Amino acid sequence: MHILLVQQSAPYGSSHAKEALDIALTAATFEQDISILFTGDACYQLMSNQFPEHIDQKNISHMLKALPIYGLEEVLVDEDSLNSRGIVNLTDSPVLKKITKSDIKKIYQSADTVIRL
Amino acid sequence: MLGFLLLCEVVYTQHEIKPLTLHCKINVIDMNISILVLSAPYSSQGAHSAFRYTQAALKSGNKIHRVFFYQDAVHAGSCLATPPQDEFDLYTAWQALKQDYDLDLVICIAAAARRGLINEQEATRHNKLSHNVSEEFELSGLGQLVEACAMSDRIITFGY
Repeated sequence: MHILLVQQSAPYGSSHAKEALDIALTAATFEQDISILFTGDACYQLMSNQFPEHIDQKNISHMLKALPIYGLEEVLVDEDSLNSRGIVNLTDSPVLKKITKSDIKKIYQSADTVIRL
Repeated sequence: MLGFLLLCEVVYTQHEIKPLTLHCKINVIDMNISILVLSAPYSSQGAHSAFRYTQAALKSGNKIHRVFFYQDAVHAGSCLATPPQDEFDLYTAWQALKQDYDLDLVICIAAAARRGLINEQEATRHNKLSHNVSEEFELSGLGQLVEACAMSDRIITFGY
């Protein structure tokens, strides 16, 4: 059973990013095989130097750093989305991996369940 | 001769159609589906479509393992919402569907609590004056969504 969680929202404009991450953490806690894919505006979640405390929000990149502790080993990001947005400085994470459009197709095909948020 | 040919045609057609129909029925009836609803009632059509899809799936003989309400969709469980009388009442529609099919309607407890939706038990725990979740809905954790992913043939998401 492989779950693919697709993140497609920017971090603080809506609750999508945080509540999607909560699904991933819960699935990992229950020892499910889960991957996260960041595409489109969700790439902004991965930027280093975020200061959301100025708008009374929790720093989402801190939660992303904690993913390996929960046993979540596959965190993927669409390289095209990063390039088209000019995002260069990413949060330091040992599990974060850049992938291409053709890889994304394969990942969708191999997943049993896809949840997009 | 013509009659014989016609008879052959009918027999041939029946033979062709029968196994196909049987094949479809087996596939449809065996499906075990879970629904993930994300959008708020009346703000997005997704909330309404989720209901219509669930109803159609049940009517066509499928099994709905669970309907999980997350994000703004948690408002579907409110017992205080009162839509105008000339509009479709999505709240009582879910409640009636639960009673008809013994559906498992689960609202994410964390998403609900931060949006002001709590049941009697939570109201007591957090020392609140009142509660507003219909008794047809159960408040539970995200683990219920993860379990639904593991147990269902399909997860269908509505609203983003």
